[in-house]
Amino acid sequence: MSTMPSEVAIEAGRQRLRLWVTAGPGLVWIMLFLLIPSAILLGIAFFSADDYGNPVLPLSLSPFQQVAGYSLLGWDSGNIAIFLRSLAQAGTATLVSAALSYPLVFFIMSRPESLRPLLLLFIILPSWTNQVVRTYAWLELLGPNAPVSWLAHALHLVPPDLGLAPGSFAVTTGLAYNYLPYMIVPLYASAEKLDWTLVEAGRDLYASGARLFWSTVFPQTLPGLLSGVIFVAIPAFGDYVVPQLLGGDRALMIGSLIANQFTETPDWPYGAALTIIMLVFTGLGLVAFRILTRKLGGAEEATI
Amino acid sequence: MIPRGVRYALSGISWPVYVLLYTPLALVAYYSFSPAPNSTGHSLHAYNILLHDGAVAAALRRSLILAFGSAITSTALGTLLGYGLCRFRNANAKGFLAHLPSLIIYTPIIMPSLVFGISELIFFNFVHNATGLLGAGLVTMVIAHITFQVPYVALTVFARLSGLDPYLFEASYDLYANGVKSFFYLIVPVVQPAIIGGFLLGITLSIDDFTISFFTSGPGSVTLPIYIYGAIARKGISPEINALGTLMIGTIISLALIQFFITRHRERAGQLSARGKIA
Amino acid sequence: MKILSCIAAGALALGLATPFAARAEQPTLNLFIWSDYIDPGLLTAFEKQCNCKVVETDYESNAEMSAKLKAGGDAQYDVVVPSSYYVPELADEGLIQPIDHTQVPNFSNIAVKFQNPDYDPGDKYSIPYQWGTTGIVYDPAKIKDPGTGWGLLFDPKMNPNFPFVLPKGEGRDQIGAACAYLGYGFNCSEKSQWIAAAKLIETTKKRANFSGFIDETPARDQMKSGLIAASMAYNGDITQCYADGSCKNLKFFLPDQGAEIWVDTMAIPTHAPNPKLALQFINFILDATNGATLSNYNQYASPNAASQKQLTGIMSSGLINPSAAEMAHLSFLAPLRGAKYKLFNQIWTSVLQ
Repeated sequence: MSTMPSEVAIEAGRQRLRLWVTAGPGLVWIMLFLLIPSAILLGIAFFSADDYGNPVLPLSLSPFQQVAGYSLLGWDSGNIAIFLRSLAQAGTATLVSAALSYPLVFFIMSRPESLRPLLLLFIILPSWTNQVVRTYAWLELLGPNAPVSWLAHALHLVPPDLGLAPGSFAVTTGLAYNYLPYMIVPLYASAEKLDWTLVEAGRDLYASGARLFWSTVFPQTLPGLLSGVIFVAIPAFGDYVVPQLLGGDRALMIGSLIANQFTETPDWPYGAALTIIMLVFTGLGLVAFRILTRKLGGAEEATI
Repeated sequence: MIPRGVRYALSGISWPVYVLLYTPLALVAYYSFSPAPNSTGHSLHAYNILLHDGAVAAALRRSLILAFGSAITSTALGTLLGYGLCRFRNANAKGFLAHLPSLIIYTPIIMPSLVFGISELIFFNFVHNATGLLGAGLVTMVIAHITFQVPYVALTVFARLSGLDPYLFEASYDLYANGVKSFFYLIVPVVQPAIIGGFLLGITLSIDDFTISFFTSGPGSVTLPIYIYGAIARKGISPEINALGTLMIGTIISLALIQFFITRHRERAGQLSARGKIA
Repeated sequence: MKILSCIAAGALALGLATPFAARAEQPTLNLFIWSDYIDPGLLTAFEKQCNCKVVETDYESNAEMSAKLKAGGDAQYDVVVPSSYYVPELADEGLIQPIDHTQVPNFSNIAVKFQNPDYDPGDKYSIPYQWGTTGIVYDPAKIKDPGTGWGLLFDPKMNPNFPFVLPKGEGRDQIGAACAYLGYGFNCSEKSQWIAAAKLIETTKKRANFSGFIDETPARDQMKSGLIAASMAYNGDITQCYADGSCKNLKFFLPDQGAEIWVDTMAIPTHAPNPKLALQFINFILDATNGATLSNYNQYASPNAASQKQLTGIMSSGLINPSAAEMAHLSFLAPLRGAKYKLFNQIWTSVLQ
């Protein structure tokens, strides 16, 4: 005797079908056009490198040893420094862009509705100029000849003849300038659907000021903020254009280390191994992030 | 809803930020009026050269086609993806497999552009040798661009949808709308800001991409960033490059302002005629 | 939003229509070359002569070009323009093919000095295109006494305050310059010498006025804007900005401790779609008049002896043509192959860290 499938099972099946129909195309696209190609390339991390950096047999784990810092010159700690530096850069970019985005988003929300798309567009617009051109403009604005640098010199913040750029202040400015649009878009999309009745309710319960914000407004913006953090932290981790131009490129970032292995100082297996480690690290970070945000948001999923 | 004092504070922070956002662009515009070689005084020399330069026009056209073409497709794919994962996924699933769709989506974001570009080149080369399809060119670039834009759209749409009252969907079923109808009449209007935001992000990512475009382009398929990088590498940030940037931003600002004033004019005209009818 | 969708639809339609319009039946020469390194007039002239179409694609560094060739680009391009020190590598890796000299009779125009070079014995894989030197450019308003060697960059006493840079690139010039400064000669090749040079550069990196690793051409632009006061530079870049008046105040010199003379060459990738056309093109460039047109446009020196009489203007200056005394101190970068290449790359990576 066969049993009839229950209504619940049918519905679950239908849900799964809907999931495949909607999410399927996007996921399949990414798998076909990125996961497979990069798996092929990253597979060479398990080969040895010939003298010109091309992968050859025998299979070996030496590229991973190189990631750990071993080379023909023995061991050095350079890679650890690079890694920490890039991490710090990601953190700075995220904090600064988040700190700027909140006031901006609520400023836009306080304006009449017809003005809002315009105000948002004006924030995104500068990122439609070429990145090198706008970073160079900052180099001039903060360089040795600029008024701002004279001011900094007068305040004894920089030695004579040098400017604020290249330097860490310039790098922070450049990062914030670059990544602001990526934080603002998801934050705005999320804040726009804010339920103000909850804020009213909080006010009725005599909460005010900071307390009111943190308990009623901020949690509702959390999904947007978390997406924004991902959009900023991850690219900023691998970014090297801004530190190169505005930071004087004195110190290698992980993005340029990887790029160099495929171009200037070719060693493709090493480059592939570095990329794998970076992907694994970032992937683990994202998984941890997801678990953390689920706990913060209760049962509700705040981010993919 | 926002108290007056807070509103002043917000303005006090925001207006300076807007000024700072445009200061570098003002500098770029200033330099675009630099004197012509071996002469003095500001001039439109750079703009003259620019408007007669066929290569720039071709690169700009290609970049726009690439950006809009890829952004439209990635917005469609990404919106469906974000919606599907928000609505139909089993939120309580545990274990590694539960994280898999997320990891797949995050991969284009975390992959370094150089590795991304080289992987695509190797892959397309292999496919081309095996099947003759997908020769390096605009098509391969569009495919690569779509791939890196989809996650951004999906995440933005997801963020907007999460926290939405699930009974909204039930309500539409009660009104006998099937899945597709409820999607277009209920979901899309609700997530419209996220769809538009995702689309704009896609355009932003595409218009400024150099590395991936360089590796997936075929002979002669020069996009604007590739052209600009080349021009900068050879001649530095010349007045022509500054003129190009100024023209692009100027055009978009003008278009946006025109659209804004047209909409406002229509609204006002609508209000006036309504009053006329009542009176 | 309506406007956006209209623009989008229009752009898409334009894009879809274009490939069909552009499908020509002529043979095509795919040229992969440094940006702005060939006179567009020459390309048009060649198109007329061969009744074909020339498609130019640009790159800005040997490294980028090499990466693209390795990943499959060697089947896309017919002519590529690597610098001399890259030729042995590309040949060893099988990325470029031997040149059939019977198809290139104009090769005899090349000055004897540039024929049969160390980096490509018998000119098997490459033909010289343009040549130049790499020296130091500085701002005399800020730096009163630049000296005659590399000390301006490496000696803190010669430049204690003003910002300066070193190129990033692959490290050959930088290690060479440091070796020359330390007395080992520009083309030092011992591991111990490389390590000493690397240490010097690392010490230089730590100076307060070191403004970063910026390649020669972008550094020239920072010099023009007054952002830095000294850097390494290509002589042709400086010639160009003298000619258009944008760097009249800057001065260039070749350190007498040793500096680089380099040649950019033309080569044919192994799987080039149209090698016959490539050979025709190379022969075309080697013609006396075309060679002169090329150099007059690029403002870099020509290896073509037959072109020398037709060079104009600034091309006869000492900037383009080093004096005999200066030539004595110039050397080609010796090709690095195999294990030495790998060692050098690892040393340079550790310097950049």
